[in-house]
Amino acid sequence: MGRIVYAAAMSHVLYPNYYGQNVGPHGRRMVEALIDVVRDMGRTLTAAAPDALVVVADDHLNVFSFDAVPALCVRVGRSVNRMVQDGAIEFDRALEGLPERYPVHEDLANSILERGLQAGFDFAASWSAPLDHAFLSPVSTLYGATPVPPLVPFWVNCFVAPQPTAQRCFAVGRHIARVAAEGPWNVAVIATGGLSHFPELSLARVGQSDVAFDRRVVKWMEAGNYEPMTALTAKELHESGSHELLNWLVLLGAVSPARARVRFFGEMGRIDLAALEWDVA
Amino acid sequence: MSRYETNVVLYRLKKDSAFRDRFRADPGSALADADLTDEEREAFVRWDTRKLNDLGGSLHLLISIPGLGGH
Repeated sequence: MGRIVYAAAMSHVLYPNYYGQNVGPHGRRMVEALIDVVRDMGRTLTAAAPDALVVVADDHLNVFSFDAVPALCVRVGRSVNRMVQDGAIEFDRALEGLPERYPVHEDLANSILERGLQAGFDFAASWSAPLDHAFLSPVSTLYGATPVPPLVPFWVNCFVAPQPTAQRCFAVGRHIARVAAEGPWNVAVIATGGLSHFPELSLARVGQSDVAFDRRVVKWMEAGNYEPMTALTAKELHESGSHELLNWLVLLGAVSPARARVRFFGEMGRIDLAALEWDVA
Repeated sequence: MSRYETNVVLYRLKKDSAFRDRFRADPGSALADADLTDEEREAFVRWDTRKLNDLGGSLHLLISIPGLGGH
């Protein structure tokens, strides 16, 4: 029988230059402190020796164009490439210098996909979608120079309305936990993104976060109180700039009823940064 | 309001460097075949990112187009 051997969630622009340019020295220092914590979390993750690492993250209109936006998508196939963006600016630069290709855990990815469809989750599948910073900035920070285990990238549509509901994302996490429990693999799961930033996805409101909202959801996760999180509405997530909590909700479903341990929480103003771990072993 | 077409143009500006070069040289000409309203076309030509965002243009595209994005 398999099991989830490690679970964590964290902000996903682990790139000091981005915050240095857009927030200043305070932002740079804060994300550098977060990076140190995530590296330490990576030592725990590495010691857990997972056979596969499920990464739940979102696309920033880098991979899926408006021609088709999957609500929930499993990356299948044998390997996955890093996104390449010519003339990259802003957070796309976090990808520079990272390896171009990563292995995919094909059997686990196929199991999540196939058993998901059998269970009523109409997941999309992609054989070719590359990974942007939402996946690779955390993975590369967690693992550093250590080889990365085979990945199962899983996309949640966080930014193009209508998004999947918080409750549905939590249910997807329960599904992933079932597949892990009934398979032969030791599985690690991470979710990335957030906390609140870019409220209403409005250019006019870039620079604002919702500290009260973020403190509230972190407290809920510390308490293992997931009911109010699954009740979060699209309106609440949109207005507070918490779109990427949908990724975290998948993780919460996978680890529930475990409680979170806060490894980092920082109020930057532009965004609130966080890294949490769950004791699942 | 053709939100879809607005985002198609933004996505092309991010991903298609030749199209981006044509747009930067002569935005009106580059968008000649795009199915945009007059309001959208004007916002593109003036590169009014706030207006494009108000018209449904993706924030993440608007801030990440090489040479044009930023916030």
